[in-house]
Amino acid sequence: MSRLRARVAAVAPPIIWGALFLVAWERFVVWRNIKPFVLPQPSRIWDQWKINKTGILATAKATGANALWGLVIGALLAVALALVAQRFRVMRELIAPLSAAANTMPIVALGPIFYNIFGTTSLTARRMVVALVVFFPVFVNMLKGLTQVDPVHEELMASYAASPLQILRQVRLPNALPFLLTGLRIGASLAVIAAVVVEYFGGLQNGLGSRVTSAMKQSATAKAWAYIAAACILGLLFYLSALIIEWIVMPWQRRRSQAR
Amino acid sequence: MSGPAAVECRGVCKIFNQGKPNQVDALIDVDLTVEAGEFVSLIGPSGCGKSTLLRVVADLLPPSGGSIAVNGKTARQARLDFDYGMAFQQAGLFEWRKVIKNIELPMELRGWDRSKRSARSREMLELVKLPEFGDNYPWELSGGMQQRIAIARALAVDPPLLLMDEPFGALDEMTREHMQAELTRICASTHKTVVFVTHSIPEAVYLSNRVVVMSPRPGRITTVINVDLGERSEDTREDGEFFKKITEVREALRGGELGATARGIEDR
Ligand SMILES: Nc1ncnc2c1ncn2[C@@H]1O[C@H](COP(=O)(O)OP(=O)(O)OP(=O)(O)O)[C@@H](O)[C@H]1O
Ligand SMILES: [Mg+2]
Repeated sequence: MSRLRARVAAVAPPIIWGALFLVAWERFVVWRNIKPFVLPQPSRIWDQWKINKTGILATAKATGANALWGLVIGALLAVALALVAQRFRVMRELIAPLSAAANTMPIVALGPIFYNIFGTTSLTARRMVVALVVFFPVFVNMLKGLTQVDPVHEELMASYAASPLQILRQVRLPNALPFLLTGLRIGASLAVIAAVVVEYFGGLQNGLGSRVTSAMKQSATAKAWAYIAAACILGLLFYLSALIIEWIVMPWQRRRSQAR
Repeated sequence: MSGPAAVECRGVCKIFNQGKPNQVDALIDVDLTVEAGEFVSLIGPSGCGKSTLLRVVADLLPPSGGSIAVNGKTARQARLDFDYGMAFQQAGLFEWRKVIKNIELPMELRGWDRSKRSARSREMLELVKLPEFGDNYPWELSGGMQQRIAIARALAVDPPLLLMDEPFGALDEMTREHMQAELTRICASTHKTVVFVTHSIPEAVYLSNRVVVMSPRPGRITTVINVDLGERSEDTREDGEFFKKITEVREALRGGELGATARGIEDR
């Protein structure tokens, strides 16, 4: 009973605030007499959502697939390179500053260049951009988890005369798991953002981002907002999936959070 | 005794950050021989280099000078041959492994099969009086309980030489005496050699054949006291000779360094 109440108490505030925000938005637009092509009311966006439901679903699938492919490729690449980097000091010193520099660069802006390389009609360019965006947070976190090992654990494994491979399996990898999941959680949100934004630069017209730009060209602002809302929901789905994976693969953390 | 000494230190030095302004002379010219089957305690104020000495013997730190032999081999070879087991000052359990799996880790690394592992780890849990905690995660245990699991882990693979760094420091008095009795029993029955760091004078005297008294800055051995109390039992703790040795160790600690009187030494 109290468990349920706690859960309601956790979920209720964002829902209430969200509803209040929508009401305020609706009223504000009416009160200030704002033109619908500048800022449409939520009720109009909802109308557009209902009219374009099939289109939204289809484009969300296309963009979601790009985001997922990019996420998987980027994360796999990041984990593989982090494993190499933790083994070789030279690699670490080479990659670390490189990834820091790349992190400050707006990678999505590389979209047009990738379209140039892979062709505007290919999905490869989009997925490559997403993969690149996902790569850095996952790589940085994974490497941190692999190298920042409890010194007592290191000494313990040395006292067992454990091989580097045994240390990797028994200490570094489990130690890196929470770091990796944090990286994935960040990467999951970024993947959707990148997949949507990269569509703004042209190419195939099958995604959420393309529909936002085309709707804006027709001054159909409410329609554009409906697609943006879909992008928000897609991002939320990715984020929640990452949270669920975290819950599943770290049983020792799960029991701890329940004990609280 | 026959055969090579379990531990043989000759003029061992350990200097941290040599030549830098924060240089620490952690060990200076330490000579120590521990015969096979002997129980030797290291006692001394905080920071006198007890843990450092243990680490150097365990080949976890390279000495700055001098020579070390363990079971007649180099410290490195002894480590690679699984000649010793170590219990650290911190429990150092792996939070992602259940308690029982923590105890089984050294067995896994030595390639023991599953049934042998679980039989042995259950036995070890009984020994440290935590039989019902095998399926818990380490953070569900108190600090003292975690320390007992770390001891169980060190004893599980039955190494001939035990290097123990204040293993009972976090335990209550009753558990501590139980663990002391168990340790003496195990050592007597399996002919183990133990190098044991402690802050407790009675503990050192109760457990040891010899108590090595150290003093800090620079860390060195000041006195070695032989203890001959025969077979230990609960009566040993009321023995007149027992108290005489306690006084002797305490005076050695006081006399060692007038400036650094037995600071950090528990008188219990
Ligand atoms: N890795 C290190 N780098 C620099 N100095 C160190 C290092 N380890 C230990 N020291 C120094 O060496 C000295 C001895 O340390 P050590 O840990 O051996 O003391 P100890 O006798 O075990 O003390 P305690 O009883 O508090 O555990 C201390 O002055 C400490 O500051
Ligand atoms: Mg110490």
